[in-house]
Amino acid sequence: MQQNPAVTVPVQKPHNQRQRHGDWKQAILLLLPMVVFVLIFTYLPAGMSLVLGLFHYHLLGVNTTFAGLTNFKDALTYPIFWTALKNTLIYAVYMVPLTIAGAIGIALLIHQKSRYYAMLRTFVLLPYITPVIATAIGWLWMFNPQYGMFNVVLRWLHLPQSQWLQSPSMAMPSVALYTLWHGLGFNVVIVLSALSSIPRHVQEAAAIDGATGWTRFRRITLPLLSPTVFFLLIITTIATLQAFSQVYALSGGTGGPAYATTTLLLLIYQTAFQDFHFSYAASMAMLLVLLILLLTLIQNWLSKRWVFYQ
Amino acid sequence: MSSRVERSTSPNRRKMLAGFRAVIALAVGLAFLFPLYIAFVTSLDTASQVFVFPPHLVPSFDFKSYIRVWQMARWAMYYGNTLFITLTTIAIALTTSILSGYALSFLEFKGRNAVFMAFLLVLMVPAEALLIPNYVILHEMSLLNTRWAQILPYGASVFGVFLLRQFFLGLPRSYWEAAKMDGASHLRFLWSVAIPLAKPVLFTISLFIFIGSWNSFQWPLIVTTSHAVQPVEVEVSRLMLAHSVDWRRLSAAGIMTTMPLVVLFLFLQRHIIRGISRGEGLQE
Repeated sequence: MQQNPAVTVPVQKPHNQRQRHGDWKQAILLLLPMVVFVLIFTYLPAGMSLVLGLFHYHLLGVNTTFAGLTNFKDALTYPIFWTALKNTLIYAVYMVPLTIAGAIGIALLIHQKSRYYAMLRTFVLLPYITPVIATAIGWLWMFNPQYGMFNVVLRWLHLPQSQWLQSPSMAMPSVALYTLWHGLGFNVVIVLSALSSIPRHVQEAAAIDGATGWTRFRRITLPLLSPTVFFLLIITTIATLQAFSQVYALSGGTGGPAYATTTLLLLIYQTAFQDFHFSYAASMAMLLVLLILLLTLIQNWLSKRWVFYQ
Repeated sequence: MSSRVERSTSPNRRKMLAGFRAVIALAVGLAFLFPLYIAFVTSLDTASQVFVFPPHLVPSFDFKSYIRVWQMARWAMYYGNTLFITLTTIAIALTTSILSGYALSFLEFKGRNAVFMAFLLVLMVPAEALLIPNYVILHEMSLLNTRWAQILPYGASVFGVFLLRQFFLGLPRSYWEAAKMDGASHLRFLWSVAIPLAKPVLFTISLFIFIGSWNSFQWPLIVTTSHAVQPVEVEVSRLMLAHSVDWRRLSAAGIMTTMPLVVLFLFLQRHIIRGISRGEGLQE
């Protein structure tokens, strides 16, 4: 430090090291708030979720005791758990393709540069930002078997009517209809943004070569969209397996009729927060997490066969 | 457009196709608007109009249902709760993500990337795994059944950190060098230079936290039982279970709750669309 200031400039190292050390202290201070929140509300509960299912945990009075795999065994031998699993999986089997196909279809339809189509995009996205419970009211009314819009129209067209949410076979598809209405716009916007990044000249070159509209879609648009489709596939599968609020609203919190709309997350909610069997519910949650993980891994593995990265 | 395409489709036919497309697209667009509209019409019906066949699509602007539904519950309190929870969540999440976003970009220290990865790992934790443990944690902290129980679990926004770090990394280092020459500390530089420049990013982050927090239902339903701390959505769900045939008032309650977001959306949809395209809409 006795050096002439003019000479210190090239000799940066000691200065830098002190700088690094000083930054550490400041970094800890600046990172601390975030770290505290992440530790308490994500890392700690994530760790707890791994072990909670292995205990008998009670909120008040009773001591926590080790349960081994009892909770998991109980869940796997509980008929309603299998009903919920079946409901959730069947729901996913039609919801995921419908969401992706619907999003691509609507996006292709309204992918036009004009105020008219921008307005229609607004209509399609609008439901996505609305609160689920509040907007489910309008749908409950439309699903009403006597006076609801759906049956009124079917009656008018002389088509067979449905009991919608009150019919065990139609209740879950009715929930799906609401969910598509609420969430499809989000997917449409993602596909639209992918579509606008496809260079025009690729399409034009294919058209010059005589490719028809369908061939261009099949051979050019779809492959170029495939990374987006893969992204939608993953997030839609996860969102579908986590269906809760709309099921709660449309079934009046029951998961009925006759457990027809009892999804896994609704069953976990009822078990934990209505019956207060926390560890039992935690073991179900762990099974749901494993299911989501498994499906994501399978989709990821399969994606190597069909996703095309430029 | 190429000449071959022009040859294969005559101008007339192309015009017809465009018209056809416009009509189909309009039908799709209106289908998305219709459920909100029908709730709006029902909420403005007179008592004798609700169960009438055929249904009507022109509202009769009878505001009695709104007056009645306003008297049915302590809406001011529920709206107050929703507003408090939403604004506090935004304030906390912005603070935590600004501070760490800055530390992860402007400060040089060992393990910087490791810390960032540890934050990103949060995105990998499935939400349903956290429901029960977080309830237990809030119970142990004696915070169940408070407004804070609905705020604190959302105090860290990983997307916020991600976006702000990205933004700060894009700022020229010379800004900081110049501020340091003038004797500014990191906090001073952050407050008077970095944050003002980051306003658009902060706005987008706040917008998505706002939508998520205003609409949140599952978590408030789980962690609260006393009405005094509950948000609007929980009260609406209670009304829905208790008055399941009073469609006019239920619709009025639904429209009342939905309207603020519709207005927000109409003004800010460009930001919302840009946010979703970048994947920020996923943070709920």
